[in-house]
Amino acid sequence: MAAADSPSTALRRRDLCSRGIRLAGKMRADVVDLLDAYVEQQGLDASASVAAVEGVPLAAVERWDEQTGTQRLLENLAAYRAFRALLAQMLEEQREQLGEADEGLGRALAAVLLQVSAFAYHLEELLRLESRGVPGEEGDGPPPPPRLSLFEQKLRGLGVLRELAQWAVRSVRDLRQLTKPSPATGAAPSLAESP
Amino acid sequence: MFSRWNWVACGFYLVLNICSPDASGGLVQSCGHIIPESPVLALGSNFTALCILNESCLDFGNIYASQIIWKIKNRLVPKEQYREINRTVSSVTFNDTSTLATPLTCNILADGQIEQNIYGITVTVGLAPEKPKNLSCIVHQVSRFTYVMTCTWNPGRHTFLDTQFRLRYSWPEEMFPDCIPKDVNNSCTVTDIQFFVNTEIWVEATNALGKAESDPLVVDPIDIVKPLSPQNVSVSSGILPTVLKLSWENWISDAVMTLKFNIRYKIVGDTNWMEVPSEDTASPRTSFSVQGLRPYTEYVFSIRCMKEDGVGYWSDWSEEKTGITTEDEPSKGPPLWRIIDTSHSPASWTVHLIWKALKPFEANGVILQYEVTVRDKSSLSCPVKKYNVTSTNHTLQLPEGTYEVTLIARNSVGASPPSVLLIPASNSKAPVKNLRTLPKHDKLWVGWTAPNSYVLKYVIEWCLLSSSSDCIIDWQIALGDVQGIDLKGIKPFKCYLITVYPLYADGQGSGQSVKAYLKQDRPSKGPTVQTKKVGKAEAVLTWNHLTVEEQNGFIRNYTILYKTIDGNETVVTVDPSKTEYTLSSLTSDTLYTVRMMASTDNGSRTGPDFTFTTQKFGKGEIEAIVVPVCLAFLLIVLLGVLFCFNKRDLIKKHIWPIVPDPSKSNIAQWSPQVPAKHNFNSKDQMSPEGSLTDVSIVEIEADDKKSFSEQDLKPFDLLKKEKSTSEGHSSGIGGSSCMSSPRQSVSDSDEGETTQNTSSTVQYSTVVLNGYRDQTPVQVFSRSESTQPLLDSEERSEDHAGGAESTAQRQQYFRQNGGQDETNTDRPSFERTKQVTHANEGDLVGFVQLQISGQSSQPLGLGMEKNIQEAALSNVLQTCTEGQAVRPETVEENPLSVDEMPKSYLPQTVRQGGYMPQ
Repeated sequence: MAAADSPSTALRRRDLCSRGIRLAGKMRADVVDLLDAYVEQQGLDASASVAAVEGVPLAAVERWDEQTGTQRLLENLAAYRAFRALLAQMLEEQREQLGEADEGLGRALAAVLLQVSAFAYHLEELLRLESRGVPGEEGDGPPPPPRLSLFEQKLRGLGVLRELAQWAVRSVRDLRQLTKPSPATGAAPSLAESP
Repeated sequence: MFSRWNWVACGFYLVLNICSPDASGGLVQSCGHIIPESPVLALGSNFTALCILNESCLDFGNIYASQIIWKIKNRLVPKEQYREINRTVSSVTFNDTSTLATPLTCNILADGQIEQNIYGITVTVGLAPEKPKNLSCIVHQVSRFTYVMTCTWNPGRHTFLDTQFRLRYSWPEEMFPDCIPKDVNNSCTVTDIQFFVNTEIWVEATNALGKAESDPLVVDPIDIVKPLSPQNVSVSSGILPTVLKLSWENWISDAVMTLKFNIRYKIVGDTNWMEVPSEDTASPRTSFSVQGLRPYTEYVFSIRCMKEDGVGYWSDWSEEKTGITTEDEPSKGPPLWRIIDTSHSPASWTVHLIWKALKPFEANGVILQYEVTVRDKSSLSCPVKKYNVTSTNHTLQLPEGTYEVTLIARNSVGASPPSVLLIPASNSKAPVKNLRTLPKHDKLWVGWTAPNSYVLKYVIEWCLLSSSSDCIIDWQIALGDVQGIDLKGIKPFKCYLITVYPLYADGQGSGQSVKAYLKQDRPSKGPTVQTKKVGKAEAVLTWNHLTVEEQNGFIRNYTILYKTIDGNETVVTVDPSKTEYTLSSLTSDTLYTVRMMASTDNGSRTGPDFTFTTQKFGKGEIEAIVVPVCLAFLLIVLLGVLFCFNKRDLIKKHIWPIVPDPSKSNIAQWSPQVPAKHNFNSKDQMSPEGSLTDVSIVEIEADDKKSFSEQDLKPFDLLKKEKSTSEGHSSGIGGSSCMSSPRQSVSDSDEGETTQNTSSTVQYSTVVLNGYRDQTPVQVFSRSESTQPLLDSEERSEDHAGGAESTAQRQQYFRQNGGQDETNTDRPSFERTKQVTHANEGDLVGFVQLQISGQSSQPLGLGMEKNIQEAALSNVLQTCTEGQAVRPETVEENPLSVDEMPKSYLPQTVRQGGYMPQ
């Protein structure tokens, strides 16, 4: 649906996209820093290979350039909602393991968690601007992961952060793509290109 | 009886109830309570409280609500505000809570008089919080990754209550913890800040009377960031001498925000900053090359940053860093001038070449040396002389002529353009005209009118005039197209001599000079005036000019102020070139006070007072008075001298009376016991023994005169008057008064006899004399009051022995040993005076002396007492002639020499020879 964007809506969308791009950029930078700290703190090998995190859509996707704006937003929203839950779980596990001993890592995790939440809010706002209903979060969320060993928790955390870093990069590209004027709609880009 | 016990019990019960520690659950239950309990009231509102009595107290204590009284802090509440609701409840109403105070108590009047407290509450009055206003927030970057947000607001009026403020912020779907201020009520700092999400921020104020919220502030914290200033700023010089490269580090990542910059710089020591155009630094960077700088100049740099889009706050300026540009060759030649000294020989000049060091922005580096080239333009054959100088002056000995001097400054990079100065043989060209000065704040503007010819440049010389040191010349060069410059470094209140020389292409014009002050003040002291000459009606005042240091400005005039002590002050204005002035029309013999005032354009100063007194007489007046007076005095003196000369004999008698020397009297010669005395001379008188003269009182019987014939007495008549004079001096001692004694003692200084017809009782005296002058001084003078007849008997015996006299009455006289004119020795030793010639006898009168026993011991006969003596004498004569033949003897003047003259007429005792009976 090619919604007739009012100027205020267009400005609002542009502002949200701009802010989301910068937030994603900062989030990536912070996650990269957090990865270094996390690897060092958890005693992991930075080059260790980690299996894909369950519940998180992969950032790498084929035919990325063929995705519509709404599709991009929805995928991003699903990914960041998943990250929000995973990071919250990581933060809780971190506090259980280390208590208040390492406040720095906990604060960094909390900051990234806030950024993920803020980015999810951006995505929801963009979807609202497209007059698209924001998909509701699953009532109880994803099923609780099976009880993992401590090492497995560490590896999963490493996998979450790595995937988040990649998603941050993709999100920047998605939002930039959304801000580009659509050839079909002229100066008023529309996200409603999805079939 | 019953009611008394009843009231006692009631009071005891009340005390127990009222004093109970806990009204509700204490040992004793209270008799009542107040509703509401400790309320918090809005200021200005109305308030009603109820005091409820317990039923138990009603029955036992006979207390009812009608007996309740209300008190505010021991102050009775008017009963108009009470209301008895029922027998156990009383209310009190306050229309304005501002009249309330703590505590509010409910009391009861037991038995109508005894006041007992039932209950009390604490009342708190305050205001509800106002809506906080002016909420603003700023995000400070604390470290590379740490940001804090500080919000401030206006809390509104004071509430008089405990009011809590809290800063709240949230995302649309997430609420953050509140920020509660500590110790303040108008700001709070949030440490958990997330960028790129709009955050709603507001302030909530709460107290017992209500809650208020500020308007919300919706902002993305990234838009209110004040970043840290760039760190590790460094400055490096580049290849070009006008460029410095500035490098730094940013403390905020591009992921958070991109930055733009401000760069400012200044020369070290300057106060004003210059800024690199903002558009040149509007993009993210970590270095910048500042261009257009001066060579070999030290600059200070500082940098700040903010979000690239300009939303937010500038950071603080970074720490200052300095850098110095590289050297370049001097941009111009040094200003060159000369001072020519021809004092030694007009044909040979001592030329002092002086030049100013280039300013830093002209030198463009360190000047290593100056190259001076002197070319004699009058002689083409003379070689060009070159000198390398490191100072800023050079002295040459040159013959009179025309020279061209070239000066080049050289640094490590290269040489400056040459400065050329033409030194002509004579400064005969046209000078500047209309030279003038004008102070301009702290500069002195010197202006002139250019001569008609084309002027290459002007040289302006100036020096500070001083009375104590030479004028040290400072100078400056101005271009030929200007007609005025500002002189800097001119001190106020100092006199400067300014000279302007025009320099032509082919010579130099003569200098024109003017004196000027940058700022004038009143003189630092006034002139010291003094008189050069003071007359009767005029005074010539003189003073010295003030020194140039004391003037502080151009002396416009001197003012002389003079006055008498009680007169009005007279003011005279004097031309400043004068140093002398004559005051006229002064009052003679009057004390004047004069002072002098020097005036500049900016004030005056008065010198010390000087006083002088005009003369009483004018010129020549004194001479006109003194000369005649002197002449008159001289005339009087001359007349006096002449008079004295004419009257010298009389004066001599007055001053040096002749004291007869009894030892040289005729009676001594006559005395057979001492024949040798007739022949002693003056030298004999000077014998040691002669220093003490014994005076003997010789008593002569008055009747003895009869033994002398009239003829014997005749020769002595002529001497009577003179002798009587001497006698007068010697009288008074040992003399007998005719008035008191029938005896008369007439002293006869002559060696003649003493005739006495007084009684036989004789006083005698012994006088020891010091010599007069060369005579032996009188040593002892004593008078005996004895009346013993010893001497008398001796004399008598001697008289009898001599057969000359044996009289019943004797007259005393003093006989002095020696010193009598020997010319008298041939004369009769004594004569009897028949009568006294007086008054009309002129000069002889004054020294008539009577020796009157017991009457007087004082010498009589001074000239001033002449009349008195004469009168006395007359009386004596009158008295004595009746019964006694007492006659003053008139002794002829003895021609005594000065040495031989008796120096004292005091009677003396003749020790040598002793008492000689006469």
